[in-house]
Amino acid sequence: MPKFLHTADWQMGRAFTRFETEDGAALVEARFEAIETLARLANEHQCDAVLVAGDVFDAQTVSDRTIRRVFNATKGFAGPWVMLPGNHDAALAESVWTRAQRLGAIPENVHLALQPGVIDLEPQKLSILCAPLTQRHTYGDLTEPFSGYETPEGFLRIGLAHGSVQGLLPDEIDSTNPIAPNRAQASKLDYLALGDWHGTKQIGERTWYSGTPEPERFRNNEAGNALIVEVAEPGATPAVTRVPTGRYQWHQFRETLAVQSDLEQLLARLNTLPESVVVDLRLDGSVTLAGEETLLKALSIAEARFRSLRCERSGLQLAPTDEDIAALKADGYVGEVVESLREPQEGAQDDIARDALAILAGLLREREQEAAQ
Amino acid sequence: MKLQRMRIEQLRQFRKPFVLGNLQPGLNLIHGPNESGKSTLVRAIRAAFFERYRSTAVDDLRPWGDSAAAPTIALDFEHEGRAWRLTKSFLQRKRCDLVVGTETYSEDDAEEKLAELLGYQYPKRGASKAEHWGIPGLLWVEQGTGQDIEQSIEHAGDHLKSALNSMVGEVASSGGDDLIETVRSQRDTLLTGTGKPRGDYLKLEKDRAQYEVEIEELKERVHKYQEQVDRLGKLTHDYDQAEAERPWEDAQRQLEEARARYQQVERLEQQQNQEKATLSQLKQNHHLLQQNKEHLEGLSRQLEGRKAELDRAERDLATAEAQTPVVTGRLQEARAAYEQAEKQRKLAGLLQTRHRLEQDVRRLEQQKQVLTDSLGKAREYHQQLEQARQQARENRIDSELVKKLRATGNQLNEETIRSRTIATRLSWQLEADASLTLNNETLTGQGEQQLLEESTLVIPGVGTLGITPGGEELASTRRKLKTLEESLEEQLKTVRVESVEQAEERLAAFENAERAQKHAEDLLKSVAPAGIEQLFSEQNEAESELEKSRSQLEATPKPDPKEDLPALEEADAAFARAGSALDKAESDDREHQSRLSALKQARDNAKTEWQRLADEEKSPERQQQLRQITTDLANLGKQQAEMEVSLERREREIRDARPEFLKQDIERYQNAVNQLRQTQENRGRELRDIKVRLEAWGAEGLEEQLNEKEAEYDQCNRRYEELHRRAQALDLLLNLLTERRQALTRRLQAPLQKHLNHYLSVLFPEASLEVDEQLRPGTFSRGTELGQITELSFGAREQMGLVSRLAYADLLREAGRPTLVILDDTLVHSDSDRLEDMKRILFDAASRHQILLFTCHPEKWQDLGVPPVDIQASKERKSDF
Repeated sequence: MPKFLHTADWQMGRAFTRFETEDGAALVEARFEAIETLARLANEHQCDAVLVAGDVFDAQTVSDRTIRRVFNATKGFAGPWVMLPGNHDAALAESVWTRAQRLGAIPENVHLALQPGVIDLEPQKLSILCAPLTQRHTYGDLTEPFSGYETPEGFLRIGLAHGSVQGLLPDEIDSTNPIAPNRAQASKLDYLALGDWHGTKQIGERTWYSGTPEPERFRNNEAGNALIVEVAEPGATPAVTRVPTGRYQWHQFRETLAVQSDLEQLLARLNTLPESVVVDLRLDGSVTLAGEETLLKALSIAEARFRSLRCERSGLQLAPTDEDIAALKADGYVGEVVESLREPQEGAQDDIARDALAILAGLLREREQEAAQ
Repeated sequence: MKLQRMRIEQLRQFRKPFVLGNLQPGLNLIHGPNESGKSTLVRAIRAAFFERYRSTAVDDLRPWGDSAAAPTIALDFEHEGRAWRLTKSFLQRKRCDLVVGTETYSEDDAEEKLAELLGYQYPKRGASKAEHWGIPGLLWVEQGTGQDIEQSIEHAGDHLKSALNSMVGEVASSGGDDLIETVRSQRDTLLTGTGKPRGDYLKLEKDRAQYEVEIEELKERVHKYQEQVDRLGKLTHDYDQAEAERPWEDAQRQLEEARARYQQVERLEQQQNQEKATLSQLKQNHHLLQQNKEHLEGLSRQLEGRKAELDRAERDLATAEAQTPVVTGRLQEARAAYEQAEKQRKLAGLLQTRHRLEQDVRRLEQQKQVLTDSLGKAREYHQQLEQARQQARENRIDSELVKKLRATGNQLNEETIRSRTIATRLSWQLEADASLTLNNETLTGQGEQQLLEESTLVIPGVGTLGITPGGEELASTRRKLKTLEESLEEQLKTVRVESVEQAEERLAAFENAERAQKHAEDLLKSVAPAGIEQLFSEQNEAESELEKSRSQLEATPKPDPKEDLPALEEADAAFARAGSALDKAESDDREHQSRLSALKQARDNAKTEWQRLADEEKSPERQQQLRQITTDLANLGKQQAEMEVSLERREREIRDARPEFLKQDIERYQNAVNQLRQTQENRGRELRDIKVRLEAWGAEGLEEQLNEKEAEYDQCNRRYEELHRRAQALDLLLNLLTERRQALTRRLQAPLQKHLNHYLSVLFPEASLEVDEQLRPGTFSRGTELGQITELSFGAREQMGLVSRLAYADLLREAGRPTLVILDDTLVHSDSDRLEDMKRILFDAASRHQILLFTCHPEKWQDLGVPPVDIQASKERKSDF
């Protein structure tokens, strides 16, 4: 009973902006680990092949080291791998693939689908109908020729393509590289393995996006999986199993703080998260001096606990209460300065005034603490 | 604070104790002339407060030459109702004691207490300097520094602030200034004074820019890479298509065809060329034969020509020969003329020579005559000279001797006369026949003789009479006379004369002769300056020359007077003309001769030629040749016509094949083949190049680099934004804090301004003086004048300085601080009006502060209304106790 692993969108060679260097490196490393995980899963599930539906590489010109490491990471699974060029790694006249070939980095069990056509995996009785991208963008359906491809009798007809299924995906996804929604049916495919959409998504009975094995953005849901597909015989409905592969979860919280309990709830939520998360916090609303102190302390703890924590507080107003101000014990002209900073300012000046107030409050608190000692 | 009494001892000129007591709470005028110790008192007060008792830098306090001295100052003053007594000794006995009411302090404690009270500080080491003086530095004005108010205020700064804070306590912030400093230092790590980034902030800004540049570069390179990939795709496609279609092979085939056709045309052209060559050969033969024929036919014509030539040559020769007599005649004429001219010239030369010789003869005759005359005269003069010389020789006599002789004669005469008078006169008159013999001398007739010597007179027959002349002088006279006579005799003998008269005559004759000789010599010299012999030889010479000239003249033939002879110059010119005419004639003749022989030669040649042709014309071979040539010519003409027809046909064939187009076709097809192949080769080369390039670029992992670089940029940018916000916040905070702090300071300005205005209105009723934020008097305005204090005159600045100091004193007094104003000979630069105003100000200030005014001009201050204290007088009074 043929069984294979469907994955896509590895995006190898991607660097992560908006993170501390150390965190970025860890996230890159996690992507290599994801390939190893895939290999391990393929073995565990006794898969006949691993199909990668495009965007193995994030760019054509990644370093030689990245190329070698990617193929090295596949070593765990000795069965056939079929890799399809996607829009990021299209099979151009000169491409990451031709470089990989020149480097001699490609193991024998890895098949590159650099031309449109069929790759027959004889022992596994699998016919892989490939629709590689040979240009960066195409505006026609590359899977169109699938209907014309003949496959040996008794072989499964598995389509492998990279692009957007028309009319089903949110608009922000590239409208280029279109794929007809009824491709599997029209071309008599047993299964159509798709890439490009980074979340795991079923399109039809026989058509799936596997999503990326390791999440790399906050936007997509359902990322970090691979699909184990089992087809009993040609024409049978495939049994698709979703297997988690991701190491890090990516969370993005947008919170508006208004009252004390909002802050408490946020902190409680952070507490429940496991350590292997990448968190992006965006806060607005207002916070008291005391609340800010609590928040900063909590963030400091969370930063240490999580893989990465980023907190955008520019929308968060510092609104010291009268008690806060009294606690600062700012007298004389310093008191006047504190008051003037509390007054609402115009435009960008407002942010600066808030920062200034925070700095001043910090200095005054330090002074209080020194005095207390 | 009121200073009541001051006592000093062993301090500069105050070796003995000196007490300045009874100081008043208000104004005190202390005066003394220079050197009286006025400045020492001021120095003593300053030392008592500012100098540490254990300072070693106060040697100036020591009396001169007294190394054992311990300068001591004791001050009594009252402050806030308590009595203070300060005693301070330096150098040999270092001590400080302070008694305040019932409390006592000593050493450092005492000094700190004083510093706190007055608001100043001690130097860490060495002598106290202006920056340590604090508030007293402001209120105690040293001589000549009254105008330097700014420095004093700066030095007093902290003390002033702490002194005045009590006045504005409600707005001051506890630790606010520290806070400002903290904020400033934090701000300054990020921003420069002018608000430019610095340190990490600056580095981030630069890094960010650097990243932007690098990212831009990488993007550019990625873009290039992608362009090259696209180019590679297109090229590969084109290359493969061209390889499949092979368009250059078609072109090659067409090229071959064109070449074959062209070769055919070329063959035709070759044939044509051969035929053309044959034709031209035929034509040449025809031409040659024609020439031969013409040649043969032309012999008779030539013969005529030769005959004509011969005739012409003979004619020319005859003409030339006819000219011969003319030429020869002309030559002979020229020769005759030449000879005639030569003769004429010779004669003219002779005539000229004769003329010259005749002139010479005349001149020489004249010369000879003159010389003969001169010689005659010279001989005559010479004779005269000889006569005069003879005369002189005969009468030569020494004039001196004559003079002496004359004197001796005269003396002898006188003596003789004298002797006669005394001599015995013997006179006689004898009978005719009677005779006497006197001294053997026979006397007859009558006579007389003076006898000076014993004489014997023999009277014949009578006997002998002896006569002895008497008289006493007679003997000496007789001796003298005898001596004189002998002398005269001697001299006469010497000059060889008989008598004196004769000598005189001879002298006269001699002198005459000498004059005559001189005269004759002069005359002789005039006619014969070089002597007669010379004259004689000159005469001889002249004569011989004359002879020579005469003989030459006679030898020269006499020209025929009938012939009209030209002058020599004219004859010369005529001769030259005749010469050149002869030359011309001769050369004409030569030319004529040579022409003649040339013409003869030409005639002979022409004759030979004519003869040769005449022989040839008549030969039979010639007739035969002529016939043969005519036949050959007819054959050749036929061949030629055939050939021309053939050529025309060939040419049409060639023209129809359009060889020039064929040639162009070949070139075109060749180019096409080359170009098509070249294009494909270029494609192949470019493909290889691009592949190599892309391989190299691909190996760099550009996009991955770009990704990483963007991540780094993002991080850098985030950090930059953080620092940017922090810098702005700190800047804002600092500005706010300093603003508020300054606002606070400004609240202190008001009271100071009030006091300042109070004094200023006395000095300048219309003026105002602004106090700036550092509490310094700044802008001064009076009517329309506006300026800084530092721009005022020295006197005005000094007055302003004093006014400001008094205002400070008022302010300090309000803050409950001690005020003591000490002025050392101040306001010396003020005019009397201003000084009057300043006195009113001082008097007014003295109602609130104690003022010690030291001066050496007491007369300026006598209307101050206080009794002056005279240091000198006090010193003298002190010497009592």
